[in-house]
Amino acid sequence: MKPRSDRPLASRRGLFAAAGGLMATGFAAAAPDRASASNALPATEPFWGAHQGGIITPMQSHTYFAAFDLTTERRQAVIDLLRTWTNAAARLTSGRKPAPLAGQPTPQPLGGMVAPAPGDMATPADFTPPPPAMDSEIAEGLPPSRLTVTFGFGAGLFQKNGRDRYGLAAHRPAALIDLPSFNGDQLVAETCGGDLSVQACADDPQVAFHAVRHLANLAYGTAELRWAQTGYCARPADGSTPRNLMGFKDGTQTPADRDKVVWVGPEGPDWMQGGSYLVVRRIRMALEHWDRTAVSFQERTMGRQKHSGAPIGLKGEFEPLGLDRTDGDGNKVIAEAAHVRLANVATTGAEILRRGYSYNDGVNFTAERWPPWRQGMEYDAGLLFICYQADPRTGFVRMFEPMAKLDMLNQFTTHTGSALFACPGGVREGEFIGQSLFAGV
Amino acid sequence: MTGANNRQQARNTRRRDHGPARPARLTALLTSMLVTAGAAQATEPRGFLETVHRHVTLTSTVPDNGDQNPYAVVVAPVSSGKIRQGDVLIDNFNNLGNLQGLGTTIVAYDPASKRTSLFAKLPRHPAYCPGGVGLTTAMTMLKSGWVIVGSTPSQDGTTRTRGDGCLLVLDANGQLVATWTGPDINGPWGNMAVLDQGTSATLFVSMAGFNLPGPDVRDPATGEPKLLHKATVLRLDLTIPQGQPPAIRSRTVIASGFGHRADQDVFLIGPTGLALAPDGTLYVSDAIGNRIVAIPQATTRTDSAGTGREVTANGLLQRPLALVLLPNGHLLTCNALNGQAVEIDPAENRQIYAQWINTNQAQSPPGSGDLFGLALRPDGKGFYYVADDMNTVVEAR
Repeated sequence: MKPRSDRPLASRRGLFAAAGGLMATGFAAAAPDRASASNALPATEPFWGAHQGGIITPMQSHTYFAAFDLTTERRQAVIDLLRTWTNAAARLTSGRKPAPLAGQPTPQPLGGMVAPAPGDMATPADFTPPPPAMDSEIAEGLPPSRLTVTFGFGAGLFQKNGRDRYGLAAHRPAALIDLPSFNGDQLVAETCGGDLSVQACADDPQVAFHAVRHLANLAYGTAELRWAQTGYCARPADGSTPRNLMGFKDGTQTPADRDKVVWVGPEGPDWMQGGSYLVVRRIRMALEHWDRTAVSFQERTMGRQKHSGAPIGLKGEFEPLGLDRTDGDGNKVIAEAAHVRLANVATTGAEILRRGYSYNDGVNFTAERWPPWRQGMEYDAGLLFICYQADPRTGFVRMFEPMAKLDMLNQFTTHTGSALFACPGGVREGEFIGQSLFAGV
Repeated sequence: MTGANNRQQARNTRRRDHGPARPARLTALLTSMLVTAGAAQATEPRGFLETVHRHVTLTSTVPDNGDQNPYAVVVAPVSSGKIRQGDVLIDNFNNLGNLQGLGTTIVAYDPASKRTSLFAKLPRHPAYCPGGVGLTTAMTMLKSGWVIVGSTPSQDGTTRTRGDGCLLVLDANGQLVATWTGPDINGPWGNMAVLDQGTSATLFVSMAGFNLPGPDVRDPATGEPKLLHKATVLRLDLTIPQGQPPAIRSRTVIASGFGHRADQDVFLIGPTGLALAPDGTLYVSDAIGNRIVAIPQATTRTDSAGTGREVTANGLLQRPLALVLLPNGHLLTCNALNGQAVEIDPAENRQIYAQWINTNQAQSPPGSGDLFGLALRPDGKGFYYVADDMNTVVEAR
């Protein structure tokens, strides 16, 4: 492992150990003894470059994640959309207002008036109605807030219901698999999948949503929203590791060789060079049940101490886990089915870069799927788990398949949404995201 | 005519982007222009619509039970029971949950007192009305005080669960006294036309339900809900014995073969307007055909005239709905696909002009889907119409 100069020298293992934790990147730079992490962050994040933003960008405090379904049958419409989206995202992330819309679908001609009032006589003459508002302007007056917009391609872009709509079916990368069913999944079909994804992250939730809303407006007639999820990350002012809704510190380090773990290399197609595969899982947490569980058991389940974040039996958050430690009876100090053990690269051989957000959608009626089978109004809150890797088969799938069966934490979590997207490499100004996928076809 | 043109020109050159209110100063200017032009030329108006420009919302048509989507507008010809002569009766097609074919209420607006009251609330499933109650644009009040209204019901807001429906006869206190059904009564839909002679009456009702499937049953060629051609106009010759409810003496299909189909958004599309001229010609607004047709000898014929003779099609018509005969002999209809009313001269088979009466820009084009029922004011100088965007009834005067 290559120690970074601004980190404690001891190697660090966080939650989802080998993965690099929830706060993978930004808070690596914000070591605990730093006075104010946010001062170190720029106002805007770059858009053009070798990589899309929002993957190794230091985490912003809010996300609006949206999956779209393409409704067009025309390949050119998809190209036009991606070009429009690329240019719009470049504008928005630089802090500029959206460009005035030209050539957007307009309402049918009214026949006579710009904006008629009751009592106006009508004529059959055609005219141009006033354009729709289109820009919500909800980001007016707000700073750029480090907005990043990250685009992903789902399997449906390449083939949908057995149909090759855009001539791309033969170009679906092998790594863009159909995610398998995992033990315990309670996936809601409407909140899974998608032909295209947009991950908008910003330090202001309204700036993040504004970006997705604007892109959705631009997509009118070509793509429509399939599902969306907001999320947030509560960052302590002292720069220490944020806590997830279970109250545990979540996220410490990047994988030892982050670039190797995240970026697609020569094994991938041209348009994926410098890109990454995104797995998103909406994970509901049984928080009421968790709050009625002893802290000692929570810690045993996680494999870490709740307050300090240190591995069970150790002192410092960033100490190595010591998975081989046993107690006097020969039992493992960190339980065999503890979350941190099952997620660790030493156990799984898999590494991912985590960049997930807490989510909280209020309360609704649910029936818990473990004894004592509680039913009632419960929080629909938990983790919008997002991770990036060069290949999901050797990343998330390899890591999670055994975890889904064995992790003690599973009795407090339920996966309700899931998707896999191929996020193309970055582009230069004048190009559009995924351009070389279409050029080669 | 010149006055009207000047007014039109003035409007066309003015950019209006501040919503429907017109500045008072400008109104005064326009009025003075019109008066001046009129004085100079003393030109007769080409039609009725140009004499009517004020649009005043009278009342909400939503009763306590929350019914939505007002359809029929009928002006009471007499005082009887709960009704005062001149009251405006409006029925509702949707229920509180905005599901179509489940409205059960008729409200009454008294223009003298400006008060609105509930005239009738029908039980959801009165005996003998197949499928229950969803009140449509088919409604009339007779001089004898009886109210007759059509039901084209559903269970889920779509034709997938529609019932054949019926005609319901109410007394002037809003109580159900009779239900008319039969193989010729299926989806009573458009505004009724009536020739009312006191102890007898001739009633015309369009029937748009026959064989209609749910809106998901598509024509593979077009992808649209399957288009049928079984809609009819039924003539009911009624006897109304003194003090007794009307009874059907004879029933005759006088027009048939009109297009109709289910619709995901507006339940069904079919012939929605009927207007009877003094010479016995019945005009029908054929929504599917986007046209007005004429059925000759409608009051006396014994057979179907098919879809009759086309009077005018397309042009300013955008799926015409309710139809009324104007004092000047013209027809007035309102569009489904924009918020305009269109005036037609049936003698010359031509459209005169159209006027914006609902300009709600929340729909595109403005007012699309907001118009349905129409009724002439008793003095012939204005008309009442519903605004389905706001669940209100409006007077144009």
